[in-house]
Amino acid sequence: MSFIRQYIEQQTINRRNLLLLSAYGLGGLAASAGLRPGPARAAGANPKIAWSYRDRTNPYWNSIVSGGEAFVESLGLPKSALLNLINGGSSEKSLADIKALLSRYGSGVALAADPNDMPNCRPVVEAVAGAGAYVSTIWNKTDDLHPWDFGDNYVSHMTWSDVGPSEQTARILIEAMGGKGGLVHLGGIASNNPAIERLAGLKNALKSYPNVELLAEQAADWDTQKANQVMSGFLTRYGDAIKGVHCASDTMAYGVIEALRAEGIENMPVVSYDGNPQAVDLVAQGKLLATVFTNPYWGGGITASLAYYAATGVFKPSKEPKEHREFYGPTVLVTTKDARDFKAKYIDSNPKYDWKDFWGLSKGQIQYRS
Amino acid sequence: MRRFMRRVATMTHGSMMDSIRKWVPFLVLLVLVLFFSAVNPHFLSLRNFARIAVSSSPALMVAVGATFVILMGSIDLSMEGTVAVCAVVFAMLLNRLGGSLAHVGWVAIPGALLAGGVLGAVNGLIHVRLRIPSFMASLSMGFVGVGLSLLMTGGNRILIDDPLFRSLLTVRVLNFPLMAYAALGGLVVAWFIQDNTTIGRNFYAVGGGEELARASGLNVGRVRVIGFVLAGIFFALGAILAVARLGIAETETGQGFMFLSITSVVVGGTGLAGGSGGVWNTLVGVLIVNVIGNGMVVVGLPDYLQDGVLGLLVISAVYLSMDRRSLSFAR
Repeated sequence: MSFIRQYIEQQTINRRNLLLLSAYGLGGLAASAGLRPGPARAAGANPKIAWSYRDRTNPYWNSIVSGGEAFVESLGLPKSALLNLINGGSSEKSLADIKALLSRYGSGVALAADPNDMPNCRPVVEAVAGAGAYVSTIWNKTDDLHPWDFGDNYVSHMTWSDVGPSEQTARILIEAMGGKGGLVHLGGIASNNPAIERLAGLKNALKSYPNVELLAEQAADWDTQKANQVMSGFLTRYGDAIKGVHCASDTMAYGVIEALRAEGIENMPVVSYDGNPQAVDLVAQGKLLATVFTNPYWGGGITASLAYYAATGVFKPSKEPKEHREFYGPTVLVTTKDARDFKAKYIDSNPKYDWKDFWGLSKGQIQYRS
Repeated sequence: MRRFMRRVATMTHGSMMDSIRKWVPFLVLLVLVLFFSAVNPHFLSLRNFARIAVSSSPALMVAVGATFVILMGSIDLSMEGTVAVCAVVFAMLLNRLGGSLAHVGWVAIPGALLAGGVLGAVNGLIHVRLRIPSFMASLSMGFVGVGLSLLMTGGNRILIDDPLFRSLLTVRVLNFPLMAYAALGGLVVAWFIQDNTTIGRNFYAVGGGEELARASGLNVGRVRVIGFVLAGIFFALGAILAVARLGIAETETGQGFMFLSITSVVVGGTGLAGGSGGVWNTLVGVLIVNVIGNGMVVVGLPDYLQDGVLGLLVISAVYLSMDRRSLSFAR
């Protein structure tokens, strides 16, 4: 029976060797990863391009992704070459999906992402940088996190400053009200930065109109149905005292307009934000007085483009000035005067963008309120 | 704990308690109306009641559909997906067929009802044939529905401008918009099904005691599938009214209906265990939930408190109105 014992012993040694060897291998891998010279090398000719975002049911995100697809097509690839990481509004899922993507493709990833909320941006960026891949983010980032602290891997961050444009829409609204009377504000999810900024814009405008009273402000969570219900509640509470409505998004404005229509009120001045196609139509018809277009199509394309061209080594992010790493996206005010021209230019057809003109539409470096 | 439960059981054991309990949801509604009117007298006006009716109408149809399923002791959580699909099917058909109900466009209505019925049938068959708990089967079907509607719309919104269809919202009879009467009509049909048809009585039989129903020769599987089909058709009615309310059909049309309808059914006093309650309870439940929603804005409750207060009010309403005597364990 000695051959059996011998076989078992041999196998034991083999297994031990295997374990030792694999431990050595893993250690070596980790060590080499740790010792690799700081900024990672370019990921090569064909990084996987991915967009991580909430979902496509919302017109805004739908445009973002359409822009991402247009960029992918500009490379001669099919739309399906863009990997969609849909987080459904969950930061945990956002991070888990990105980590899964990185463990599959390693450094060969060019990622565009909205990290869903501000605290989630750091773990996302660290995971990407740790894998030697490339990421460009939009909207959600804490003020202490900067692309230039991560060499080349954190390519850029784009956000939109809504205070100024929101103040402009508020002024248009108040002028239409004749500079007096009461108005109500329907806001987004109260903790969202755009919701805070858009309300701040309204309040800035109110400072120069002492005869206008902000009757109420209420979150309707960017939701059409909720806005409809909130507006009808406002009508009960304030009745004819309401002379104008300031909405923080187009989606909520639709609900407001329908709540007014149900009461037979047709001429109430309403302004909104986001520049969705349907809202631009309403501006052209005069049912909305103004909206603000943030060009999500371009934003979705350029964010993917920045990550992609950094990954392929077309430009070196660390050699770019700070205003190319953190910048504001474009905002275009759409009013009843220019809605038709605007529609022809941006809605009926998407302008053909040069996806290598990374900062052509940028509105300058992000400023932090200290 | 058990002794306490037993004492509660003996205390509530009495026909008088039963008859009072039956009216508790209605009393809750009355108290809410009085409370909100006391804080802001504007609440108690026909115009505001019409506003509550507008927001209640789609929810009522969806909740009535859910009522049938809950009466059987099952649960249907597919409404967000089903409503989205039906709304999109309705809007696409209407716009394809000329965009007006006046011509061939009316086909969109039976088309949407058919879509709802088919989705309900699939839902019921998965639940019965594959023996998957209705909770899981319908929840999953809801996701399928959301995905399907997204596929059909490509994430876009479909607008409905037909003045004839929108008259459901814009035309008023005795101060109330037509959609309120349409919903009331749907409720009466549901009431007829519940009280005057064999299938209606069978829902109670299955919910009251499935084993007993089976032993007396009832094809329980068939009853369940029919229940889900019926629910799907009422979800489609809800979808049509939801489109009438906003003039928009999109994937988000279904959003929020799950919480709204299940809460309404339970607050109205229909037991989740099945076998007790009915569509009139659901009417009261829908009104309670919508009165709370409207009332909180009307009295000017800060918005960061509203969700919390809604939750607390719902818990109290359920506590007061549900007959927990028959529940040894709340599932």
